[in-house]
Amino acid sequence: MDITYYLYLSAVLFTIGAVGVLVRRNAIVVFMCVELMLNAVNLSLVTFARMNSNLDGQVIAFFVMVVAAAEVVIGLAIIMSIFRSRRSASVDDANLLKY
Amino acid sequence: MIPILILSIFSGGFAIFSIVAGSLSGPKRFNRAKLESYECGIEPAPQAFRGHRLPVKYYLTAMLFIVFDIEIVFLYPWAVAFNKLGMFGLVEMILFIATVFVVYAYVWRRGGLEWD
Amino acid sequence: MAAADFTAPSIAYGALMPVLIPAGAAIVGVLVDAFAPSTIRWRAQVVVALAGLAGALVACGILAGEHHVTADTAISVDGPALFLQGTIAVLGIASVLLVADRSPGMDGGAFVASAATTPGSADERASIRSGRIQTEVFPLMMFAVTGMMLFPASNDLLLLFVALEVLSLPLYLLCGLARRRRLLSQEAAVKYFLLGAFASAFFLYGLALLYGYAGTVSLGGIHDAAVSGQHNDTLLFLGLALLAVGLLFKVGAAPFHSWIPDVYQGAPTPITAFMASATKVAGFGALLRVFYVSFGGLGWEWRPVAWGIAIMTMIVGSIFAITQTDVKRMLAYSSIAHAGFILIGIIALNKSGLSGSMFYLLTYGITTVGAFGVLTLVRDPDGEATHLSRWAGLGRRSPLVAGVFALFLLALAGIPLTSGFTGKFAVFSAGVSGGATPLVIVGVITSAMAAFFYVRVIVLMFFADPLEDGPVVVIPGGATSSAIAISVAVTVVLGVFPQPLLNLANHAVPFYH
Repeated sequence: MDITYYLYLSAVLFTIGAVGVLVRRNAIVVFMCVELMLNAVNLSLVTFARMNSNLDGQVIAFFVMVVAAAEVVIGLAIIMSIFRSRRSASVDDANLLKY
Repeated sequence: MIPILILSIFSGGFAIFSIVAGSLSGPKRFNRAKLESYECGIEPAPQAFRGHRLPVKYYLTAMLFIVFDIEIVFLYPWAVAFNKLGMFGLVEMILFIATVFVVYAYVWRRGGLEWD
Repeated sequence: MAAADFTAPSIAYGALMPVLIPAGAAIVGVLVDAFAPSTIRWRAQVVVALAGLAGALVACGILAGEHHVTADTAISVDGPALFLQGTIAVLGIASVLLVADRSPGMDGGAFVASAATTPGSADERASIRSGRIQTEVFPLMMFAVTGMMLFPASNDLLLLFVALEVLSLPLYLLCGLARRRRLLSQEAAVKYFLLGAFASAFFLYGLALLYGYAGTVSLGGIHDAAVSGQHNDTLLFLGLALLAVGLLFKVGAAPFHSWIPDVYQGAPTPITAFMASATKVAGFGALLRVFYVSFGGLGWEWRPVAWGIAIMTMIVGSIFAITQTDVKRMLAYSSIAHAGFILIGIIALNKSGLSGSMFYLLTYGITTVGAFGVLTLVRDPDGEATHLSRWAGLGRRSPLVAGVFALFLLALAGIPLTSGFTGKFAVFSAGVSGGATPLVIVGVITSAMAAFFYVRVIVLMFFADPLEDGPVVVIPGGATSSAIAISVAVTVVLGVFPQPLLNLANHAVPFYH
């Protein structure tokens, strides 16, 4: 099977994630879309590792996973705190900051 | 090949033995709780938000779990290359684990591990 | 794919001291939070943080003039890295001093008593009464400083990414810790977090594509592959563009600037000072290294886009700043405009562009910390008085504070005899010598536009009638006073007598990889 298919799949996943960030309203869902983007990147990385026949890409994928986990924790903490103050996780309800 | 075969026979046999032995030897007293999807923890609710909100402590535990769980991922490459990295790798890994342990000490002291 | 032969990398720990000392201070800070009794915690944290930053500054001084490429070429501690690390240490010291001030006039400091309590709840009132405060601010700041120290020294895209996250994650949290107007602060944190994570995903995809292009993520390796021109150019340019999105987001260049005003306004003011100065220094440090080392040979390909971004950033920053009615938001837009000016130094792509940008970052950072420091002093009963109308006539009631603020505004505007002028001059002349004269002309015009709104504030402070119920100017504690005094001194000295530091910046170039 042609290995570039994985790259196409990764690009599609990344795009779905990016579109999701832009159109979804719930902060948790937005955040999950970001995670989808990161995982799309991981798929690219391991595919390129295979294509370049070196292991760097796989190691980088580990780092991405760890950083993504740290990001989940920070993000959930922040979203939880705003949810508890407002009883809503919609990014549209957060509108105090403007001119 | 042979060790894998033996191992799979053992593991499969143990699984079957456990299930059969459990169903033969255990008392059978049914109650409502046993018909739930999970015998412990929260009741599965049709709506997680609005109606039945999950207690915050679940999130706290989940967050702590994610962090400490995923740090272990770095132990695998290190273990694979342990012989070549030698003392250098060992010292670096001890530093890494020590850093994670500092965070653990913080969580413990500030009550992050207390359930109630 | 057999495991490739490799040898354990050697790490020059001595050269990494500017990174390791703040990291150690952060870990000690976590231990202090875990084990020290709550009565001495705040003091102990301040001491640990300041000691860590001072140690890092001393380490930069000792290492000056050396260059090490270490950790299997992942880290390059060279002149520009050390210059920027020293700058970040100084800005960190000033910001920590602003954070540390809990003198009576400050009404409990800028930070929340307990971040876990819901705003407006009985728990929150109880936590305020108990005199508690979230001492985690200091370790978080030190972790952020660690990331910032690593950011301009990263010689490898993976390390760049890790440093980016190490500096961003604590900042997301710090944004949400304001003591007053907590909803605003939490909203700023959510916005910053979601957009920051979005931008780092783009950065990461760029990293993956460049790895696919060059087979390596080291900046030198990507440079070699780009020069040889034997690979798939689509990957190179897509990767470069996505990478640039992530970095330009961090420094707040248009069109990736939309988070800056909101986050700067909502965050606690000392943290805004820290973000506006130190983060920008670190971000531009990384941008400079990536574009000078990896993509310097491709200048013709990316410069037209960079020109567009620089022009847009300068214009957006200057025009929107005029329409603002909130001092914090105005300073936020001014920081966007400044990002545009520094981009000229990157586009120049020559030695004086590099040294000029570094000098500019130092002058801009110090002045910005001072300006936000003054903001913390002008207070209403419910916190800082950030609305512009509240500042009317301040110069008559508190000439000293208003005068200091006016000095910072003039420096940001780039008036001669302030550090802002020398910085702008250095960057603009580098731009001209680098063949970006039209860009410099736009820069000068937007500087003039920007001067308009700085002067408008000064006029408002000194020539408008004071308000009846105007804000109180509190007597700052020793910490805030020293932070502002440092800023004033540097702003004036670098305006009148910039040559030693300019020489230092000139000797710091070029990058080693």
